[in-house]
Amino acid sequence: MEKGFVENGFIIDLSNTKNTTQLVFELSSIMEHPDVKGKRICLKLGALDLKQSQLLSIKALIESMDAEIAFIDTASEQTQASAISLGLIVSKLGDDIKVASYKAEETEIKEEEVVIKEETNDQDTEIGKTVEVLADSENAEQVKPISEIEGVEDVYTEQTTQELSEIIPSEHFENDFEALAYSEGLLTKEETSKYILLDTGEVLPEDAEENTTDTKTLPTLYLNQTLRSGQTVNYDGNILIIGDAHPGSEIIATGDITVWGILGGIAHAGSRGNVTSKVRALKLNAIQLRIAGLYARRNDTLNVPYVQKTNEFTPEEALIEESKIVIYKKLRRD
Amino acid sequence: MTGRVIVITSGKGGVGKTTTSANIGTALAKEGYKVVLIDTDLGLRNLDLLLGLENRIVYTIVDVIEERCKLKQALVKDKKNPNLQLLAAAQTRDKSAVNAEQLREICEQLKEKNDFVLVDCPAGIEQGFQNAVAGASEAIVVTTPEMSAIRDADRIIGLLATKEEITSYKLLLNRVRPNLIKTNEMMSVDDVVEILEIPLVGIIPEDTGIITSTNKGEPIVNDEDALAGKAYRNVAQRILGEEVPFLDLDEPKGFMAKIKNVFSKLKVKV
Repeated sequence: MEKGFVENGFIIDLSNTKNTTQLVFELSSIMEHPDVKGKRICLKLGALDLKQSQLLSIKALIESMDAEIAFIDTASEQTQASAISLGLIVSKLGDDIKVASYKAEETEIKEEEVVIKEETNDQDTEIGKTVEVLADSENAEQVKPISEIEGVEDVYTEQTTQELSEIIPSEHFENDFEALAYSEGLLTKEETSKYILLDTGEVLPEDAEENTTDTKTLPTLYLNQTLRSGQTVNYDGNILIIGDAHPGSEIIATGDITVWGILGGIAHAGSRGNVTSKVRALKLNAIQLRIAGLYARRNDTLNVPYVQKTNEFTPEEALIEESKIVIYKKLRRD
Repeated sequence: MTGRVIVITSGKGGVGKTTTSANIGTALAKEGYKVVLIDTDLGLRNLDLLLGLENRIVYTIVDVIEERCKLKQALVKDKKNPNLQLLAAAQTRDKSAVNAEQLREICEQLKEKNDFVLVDCPAGIEQGFQNAVAGASEAIVVTTPEMSAIRDADRIIGLLATKEEITSYKLLLNRVRPNLIKTNEMMSVDDVVEILEIPLVGIIPEDTGIITSTNKGEPIVNDEDALAGKAYRNVAQRILGEEVPFLDLDEPKGFMAKIKNVFSKLKVKV
């Protein structure tokens, strides 16, 4: 078994195992090692097909040893889908992880952070500031591929560290710093935050025309309630819902749809053909997503009857990319 | 006296609306309150069977509405408890025989002379449902821990929310099987409450005694030993505003628990 060392954790290579039993046996023998405690595990699973329940028990096994899964490297689509539905991160584990693609997403993350900063308590504000500082001070030279980094501190210049310590009380410093450095490392990998729903097809009414109106200019309907099965909201503009949209509900907007909660019903953004409109939710669990003339159905392997509420939702955003509906996970801060 | 009108509804059929109506009604009557049960399931009446009152019905709700009798004449008194009365549905007619306004009028009249008017709602969201909720100011939504029943309950709660007269709605979770919850084969009580987001008024365990009690026409609340009966009595207490803890349905299972059980029994003998 190949074992490599990565940022406060291990890579456990199980790609040679032939079945689940062998996998669990190998894994548990590795997990018995005392060094594993408190570490992040990167699982290399190879082409093995794992069901959600199997992956869940593997996760439970790792967590029972006081360790946690950082991400999963798999060649199997089924395992990937199971991992996504469990909220695990799927990634490719390369020799050299490229950082270039991170730049594009970074600005989006910054925006998200600012929103969070404004609306939540003091502690979050501190974290929000940290990200801003990091984002400002970073440039291409300072960010090195992880393979070159030995200690986490090396990512930032000394100057940055000083700036950080001014903002955050020293007792919080270490944890927040580590968490940020860690989540940043994950976001460098594009696949971790993106998945495509199946079966894109046409839904637009005949008389609607494809357009690219800026959704910022549209009026917004603000709803502070839970949408239950059978309830429909139809609005010429953007819709913002503070609450969940239960399965069986329908949200139709000519602009963007944002649900501050779990979106479990059907959502149709850009219902008059606006291809720039987006659907956002703390958890996108929609049976069907429709944007402008496209629709996408939820992956069958993600077909969980309901989503358990936790404090750890990763906001998601669906948009059209190359004539497909694509979902991006926004900012994972462990 | 102004009584409370509570509708017992679910959306889905077969989750235990009628059983719940009969048992809560009986339990409240046993506490000394005057209770009227209204069966609004026209054409498919069952409530009279559960109470064992089928042979006593002379006039039905349709007779009252079509003025063939006085409201008082149509009320059937329970065999055991005169506090409990039933206004039966007509078996030979269908839901279109009454309308919401007429039912509201009947509820208004009944609540003047009774503490509780419990309306047993038919399945579905059509005319029958609209009639049943018309006169009510409170609702109990009955569901079972299955996705289909929960989805329908969610729909019903959405519809109830649009009715201005209904000021409170509570959830009654029926046919709960703790051993299935433990093995993750059934959704837990917490899961259901989390999905539906309304306060819980009762958890009723699955009990085979319900079947025999239905066949005998004897509500299970009259059986002091039955767990489901106890659960229904607790629901009645909660409706009356008492704070009653939910029944602990967990039976100790597994090897160690069994051993502990044996020991605890031995202690009692000594």
